[in-house]
Amino acid sequence: MISFAVFTCIILAAVFANIIAPYNPFDPASLNLMNGFTPPMQANDFTGEVFLMGTDDQGRDLFSTILYGLRISLFVGVMAVALAMVLGVLLGLIAGFFGGWFDVLIMRFADIQMTFPSILVAMLIYGVAKGVLPPDLRYEMSITVLIISIGLSEWVPFARTVRGSTLVEKEKEYIIAAKMIGLNKWQIMIRHILPNVLSPVLVIATITFALAIIAEATLSFLGVGVPTTKPSLGTLIRIGQDFLFSGEWWILLFPAITLLALALSINLFGDWLRDTLNPKLK
Amino acid sequence: MANPLLEIDQLSVSLKKRKQTLKAVDNLSLKIYSGEILGLVGESGAGKSMTGSAILGLIDPPLFISSGKIIFEGERIDQNTKNIRGSKISMIFQDPLVSLNPLRRIGDQLVETIITHFDVSKTQAFERAKSLLEEVGIDPSRINAYPHTFSGGMRQRVVIALALAPEPALIIADEPTTALDVSVQAQILDLLKKLAKERGTAIILITHDMGVIAETTDRVAVLYSGRLAEIGKTADVLKDPKHPYTKGLVASTPRIDANSLLEKLFQIPGAMPDLDNIPEGCPFHPRCDFADAQCRKEQPPLFQNRSACWLSKD
Amino acid sequence: MSYVIANQLTRHYDLSDPWIIRQINRRPKNILTAVNHVSFSIEKGEAYALVGESGSGKSTIAKMVSGLLKPSAGSIHIDGHDLNGPILDGKATHNMRQRIQMVFQSPYASLNPRWKIGNIILEPIKSFRLIADEKQQHKRVAELLDQVGLSERDVSKYPHEFSGGQRQRISIARALASQPEIIICDEPTSALDVSVQAQVLNLLKDLQKEFSLTYLFISHDLAVISTMANKIGVLKDGKLVEEADSAELFANPKHEYTKMLLSAAPNIGVYVHSERKS
Repeated sequence: MISFAVFTCIILAAVFANIIAPYNPFDPASLNLMNGFTPPMQANDFTGEVFLMGTDDQGRDLFSTILYGLRISLFVGVMAVALAMVLGVLLGLIAGFFGGWFDVLIMRFADIQMTFPSILVAMLIYGVAKGVLPPDLRYEMSITVLIISIGLSEWVPFARTVRGSTLVEKEKEYIIAAKMIGLNKWQIMIRHILPNVLSPVLVIATITFALAIIAEATLSFLGVGVPTTKPSLGTLIRIGQDFLFSGEWWILLFPAITLLALALSINLFGDWLRDTLNPKLK
Repeated sequence: MANPLLEIDQLSVSLKKRKQTLKAVDNLSLKIYSGEILGLVGESGAGKSMTGSAILGLIDPPLFISSGKIIFEGERIDQNTKNIRGSKISMIFQDPLVSLNPLRRIGDQLVETIITHFDVSKTQAFERAKSLLEEVGIDPSRINAYPHTFSGGMRQRVVIALALAPEPALIIADEPTTALDVSVQAQILDLLKKLAKERGTAIILITHDMGVIAETTDRVAVLYSGRLAEIGKTADVLKDPKHPYTKGLVASTPRIDANSLLEKLFQIPGAMPDLDNIPEGCPFHPRCDFADAQCRKEQPPLFQNRSACWLSKD
Repeated sequence: MSYVIANQLTRHYDLSDPWIIRQINRRPKNILTAVNHVSFSIEKGEAYALVGESGSGKSTIAKMVSGLLKPSAGSIHIDGHDLNGPILDGKATHNMRQRIQMVFQSPYASLNPRWKIGNIILEPIKSFRLIADEKQQHKRVAELLDQVGLSERDVSKYPHEFSGGQRQRISIARALASQPEIIICDEPTSALDVSVQAQVLNLLKDLQKEFSLTYLFISHDLAVISTMANKIGVLKDGKLVEEADSAELFANPKHEYTKMLLSAAPNIGVYVHSERKS
């Protein structure tokens, strides 16, 4: 349950970031380069300001940046999971229920996609999307593209699980009864099969949520994620990595710990969820 | 009368559920003698499978034997069943598909059982296995075949051969023919009858099918809500049932009878109560046409070794 | 003309290996004939039973009569209409569906576990647009529940809150909801206890009388069939080996297989006889 508490704290912190954070790190005007590299809880040599977790190379208050960055991470995570879930569940239902060529095509495509690490898939989609978009939209659409690329790389587990459950439910007599009532295939699929295949989806969603957040952090770390003016946790880690051995350890440490805490608490929450839902299934 | 092979003496199997103690088997007493086939009949939840499991010590928590004794060949076995399970008392289950290890040849499974119980060489065990297969009606040359090459009925025969391998004195057959086709069912039941006659093995046949009881058993015990309702010779109990539940059960069993084709069946109103809802007094009284005040208050004992009903008192 | 006419019904299943494998191994095609030129007819209001063991084809025939499975050869005519005829009008097919409903063997798999039973029974009424007004719909559902021996208060419950026998009653109520003319009962009581079975079989008989229903009753249990059917068809390995009125079939079975089934069936009748009617 500690994980749930930690998780909730982080969520709340992110949601109320603009109230809690002492500074707005995304506003370039408020930045003072002279504040850069201030260690935590120590007064800055030049300006005398004190920062809870110190500042990064551009003078951004780390604490605030982490809070705002969390927002982006969580937003991207939630949206990507939603996309993966909707797409995966739909494709799984179609593959399981209609069978035949639909099943073959969807599942082989899934198999092919799964042979690549999802980060590579995300990068590929990201690169293609960026290439396709006109240059002026690239900056604005970054987050959207990021969401789409992570979402599209994570749909397979949903599809496979839903397909398996669909195959089982499809043979049951209440489906035959539905056919005898004259419902068409889509009606049967959505009204009858869908409610019965959803239970494992929630658990997969929480796991995928953690994966999506890490994916976003990884992409940002590699420099292909969020733009650098709106740093997310991944960006901060990248920045911090450069300065770790020159003594400014806080720029790496605090974002890394936050990311770790977030991913861990989500995973533990997912485990707990799986355990509580299981006895009900029995 | 000879001494009973197995005696169940006031056995109760209970379950603790949220501060209540529920009884799956309640104060059951039964005797079974060598060479006879005793039917244990009842509907789902009556406690018949539970009784079979109790005899073999297969009761797992949260269920437990809360009182009573099980005495086999003069010795008490309910505290420590491990040595007789599988050797002097063996069991046959309903589904032959899952009773056999699909990865092992039937000969190997038989030989292993024989060697475990008897001090014989592998060759001798092999010969015994072959004769067992012959006894149950399987061509002994198939001794090296795998289970999946047999049909359902043949597989059940293999299961019976396995149950016979330790030369048990008692076989508990739990719904052995429910999953089989009618024609195969008849063959298996005939086989059980033959075994009881030729080997003197006692058989407890657990079933919900009154037709099976009629065709196969010598005596029958009717269970209701974990309690014994009626017991006696099969012919007597079916032709002239004394307990109202038995009467109802017999009357509501469909039968092929030229005089009653297309007629509505007798139906007992209501349903057997859940474990946590068993009424006071006689458990059958809410559904009984003859229930009186005493039936509602006090549990009837077994009268004349036949029927647990206050109306049988005289 | 008979109400339900099955004519030379045949159904093949192609279990062959893929063409390449067959060429390499020089194996012939492997066609399973589940139903082999079966013909029978059912009069309106009659109860016709198909009896057979596993592999006899009875379930496959049930699926073909219900319109869910297309025969490989042969035809099914209901009230003169060819079930598998050219679809001139999608609506006609939909209406045809309303006339045939089914009650299934498993009380557990025949009701959607996530739906309230009120909605399960309401669904056919909505799908066939039998009642438009919502209030009338609720009334009708309550009426159906009452007809099968359940209560109006059960509408908001889920299937798992009911026993096996009660669930079969709900299935019957759902089948009745479309106001069908024919109900196919596929082993409806095989999974039920004896006393519950008697209740459900009696219910089916009462309903048949009250609503002039025609039944196609599928079972492996001759004793159950003897209480339900006027006419019986005996199936073996996809072929109809004997067909007769039930009294005649039980008194004078002609085919060896029928005789075998009768003698093998565990029958409480060895001890229990009804009084002969004078």
